[in-house]
Amino acid sequence: MASSGASFKSGGARRKATKKGLIFTVMIVGASGCGKSTFINTLCENPVILRKDHADAEKAAQLKTVGLAPTTVELDEDGLKLSLTVVDTPGFGDNINNEPAFEDILGYIEHQYEEILAQESRIKRNPRFQDNRVHVLLYFIQPSGHSLREMDIEFMRLLGARVNVIPVIGKADSMTPQELNAFKKRIMEDISHYKIPIYDFPYDEEEDDEETIEENNELRGLLPFSVIGSEDEVVINGRRVRCRQYPWGVVEVDNSKHCDFSKLRYMLLSSHLHDLKDITHDVLYETWRTEKLSKEGHQDDDSGEEQ
Amino acid sequence: MAPPAAPGPVSVGIANLPNQRHKIVSRKGASYNIMVVGESGLGKTTFINTLFSALMRDYKRPEQRFAKQLDRTVQIDVVRADIEEKGFNVRLSVIDTPGFGDYANNTDCWVPIVQFLDEQHQHILNHETVPNRKTDDLRVHACLYFIQPTGHTLKPLDIEVMKHLCTRVNLIPVIAKADTITPADMLAFKDRIRDCISTHNIQVFTPAVHSEDEDATRRNTSILAAMPFSVIASENDVQVNGQTVRGRQYLWGVAEVENEAHCDFKKLRNLLIRTHMHDLITTTHDHHYETHRVAKLTASGRSDDDPALQARRGFEAKMKEEEAELRKKFTEQVRLEENRFRQWEQKLISERDRLNEDLDKQHSLVKQLEEELEEIIAARKR
Repeated sequence: MASSGASFKSGGARRKATKKGLIFTVMIVGASGCGKSTFINTLCENPVILRKDHADAEKAAQLKTVGLAPTTVELDEDGLKLSLTVVDTPGFGDNINNEPAFEDILGYIEHQYEEILAQESRIKRNPRFQDNRVHVLLYFIQPSGHSLREMDIEFMRLLGARVNVIPVIGKADSMTPQELNAFKKRIMEDISHYKIPIYDFPYDEEEDDEETIEENNELRGLLPFSVIGSEDEVVINGRRVRCRQYPWGVVEVDNSKHCDFSKLRYMLLSSHLHDLKDITHDVLYETWRTEKLSKEGHQDDDSGEEQ
Repeated sequence: MAPPAAPGPVSVGIANLPNQRHKIVSRKGASYNIMVVGESGLGKTTFINTLFSALMRDYKRPEQRFAKQLDRTVQIDVVRADIEEKGFNVRLSVIDTPGFGDYANNTDCWVPIVQFLDEQHQHILNHETVPNRKTDDLRVHACLYFIQPTGHTLKPLDIEVMKHLCTRVNLIPVIAKADTITPADMLAFKDRIRDCISTHNIQVFTPAVHSEDEDATRRNTSILAAMPFSVIASENDVQVNGQTVRGRQYLWGVAEVENEAHCDFKKLRNLLIRTHMHDLITTTHDHHYETHRVAKLTASGRSDDDPALQARRGFEAKMKEEEAELRKKFTEQVRLEENRFRQWEQKLISERDRLNEDLDKQHSLVKQLEEELEEIIAARKR
C-alpha cells in the first residue's frame, strides 16, 4: 500500500478534493482520565469536546454506558479542506465490569459497514450518501509504566480486525524519558506476543521509494505514540506555546522532544490519511463484507444459486 | 471541732507513668502493619520503598508477565521486615494486593481483601480464650487506597471498595503519581474526591485535631486539609541546585518527593510514622477490632446481661402479655352484657308505650259511650 502525502493528487483530482474536502473519521477510545478529551481539543485546536461536569458525587458511583458521540470539525491542512469527524467514547473502562463496552464499540463500527453494504446493494444509490466508516481508532493506554493490561489486550485484539488501531500513551508527562522508552518497548513486545493487529505503517519493499520506507520505519519505531494534551496557551520567550505548567517546569505539547503529538498529528491528517482510508476500504471493509455475506449463505457461484 | 488540715500537694510519682511506658514500649518494640490497595502501575511498590527508605519489595519483573496466572484473582502478599531506628524496633509488615482492579471485569475483586481483614480480627478474637494468647498480630493498622490521577473524580470501583474497607480498617486515600496533575487541577480534584467521600458516607481515617500543643494542633489541621494526600514516589537521587534530593528527572524539570509544594509525601509520612503511628495502632484495636468483636458475638446470640436477670425479664414480659389478654377479654364481656341490657330496656319501653296507647284508646271509648248515654238520657227527658 503506497503511502503518500496529500500532494500526490495532481490536476483535476486535486481541484475536486479542494472543493469537496476530504472526509476522515477518527475514533478515540480509552479509560477515563487518560487525556482523550484534551487530546481531541488539542488536535482540532478548538474546544470541540466540552469539559465533563464531575461535580455530581452521586453520579460517580453509577453504572455508565459507553456514549458514542461524533463531532465534526472543518480543518484546513496545507490548503486542503478536511472534514474531520471525531468520535469520542466517554464512559469506556469506567465501570467495575467493562466487558459489555467492547461490544458496543464494535457494534458501532460494524454498523457503519452495514450501512455502506446496504447502500451498495441498492438499485438506485444515493449520491449524497455520507461515508461514516471509522478510518482509524486511537486507543489510549494508561501510563502505568508496566505493560499492557488485560482490558487493553482484549479490546485491541477484538477491534484490530475491523479497524486500523493505533496505540497511544496518554498523559505521557507522568514518565521520565527512560521509563517512557522501556514502557514503549514492553508494549510492542506485548503486541507481538499476543498477536494484536495494529496499524504499523506497512510499506512495500519493492514498490515504494526510499523516502517512504524510511519515514514509515521511523514512525513504526515511535509506536506507541506518547501524547500530552493541553488547551492552555502561555507566552514563553515571546511566542505562544501550548503547554502544561508545573511547579518544577513547563511541558510543551508541540515540542517533539517532550512528546510525539506533532508527529502523530502530521501522520494522521497529512501524510498517512489516504493510506488509512485505503486500508479501511480495501482491506478491512472487504474482509468484513466477505465474512458477513458468507455467513448469510451467499456463495460466489457463477450459477447464482443461493443456499 | 475543726476537721484536720488537708495535707499539702506531695509529688507521689504518678507523673512518671509516661516515662515507664516509654521504657516498656522501647523494649517491646511495636508491630506495624500497612496495606496498600490499588491498580497496578500506580506506584505502590515505589511508595513503600520510598517511605521506609529501604528496598522493602522487589519490583514486578516484566519478563515474567507472560507467565502470569489467568485465573483473574486478587492475591494477598505479605512482606515482613524489622526496622530499627535509634534503638527502637518495629516489626513492619507490608501487605500488597496484586491483581486488584487489573482485569476487564473487576466484580467482587475486593472480596479477598475484605476476607483477609476479617480473618485477622477473627484470629485475635479466637485467641482471646485460648490458654496461650501470644500470637502473630497481623491486623492491618493503616490501609492506603491508591486513587488513579484521572483528574475527574472517583471511579465506581473506588467508591465500592472504599465503602467495604472503611468499616474494617483505618482507610487513608492517596492520590498516586501526583506529578501528572497541575496544582490548580489538583485542588479541584481533591475537592471532588472529598465531596464524593462525604456523599457516599465513607469513613476515612481522620486524626484528632486538637491537642494541648499549639504546634501539634496546627500540624493536624494542615494534615486534615491536605487529605486525600497526593504523592510522588521515587528512589532515585537527582541533583537540584547542587543538592541531592529524591525526585523524578524530567526533560523539563525535577519533581521532588520531599518538596511540600510538589506533593504531600512528607505529610503522609509524618502521619503514618512520626505523629500518628500509635493513634493508628490503637484505633485499630479500640475501634475496628471492637466493632468486629461486637458484631460477631451478638450474631452468635450472646448479650451483655446476667442470665438470671434475662430470665426474669422474660418472665415479666410474659406476665404483662397475659394481663393485657385478660383485660381485653373482660372488656369484651362487659360490652356484650351492656348491649343485652340496652336491648331489654328498649323492649320494655316499647311495651309500656303500647299498653299506654291501649289504655288511652279504652279511655276514649269509655268517654264516647258516656257521652252517648248522656245524650240518650237527655233525649228521653224531653
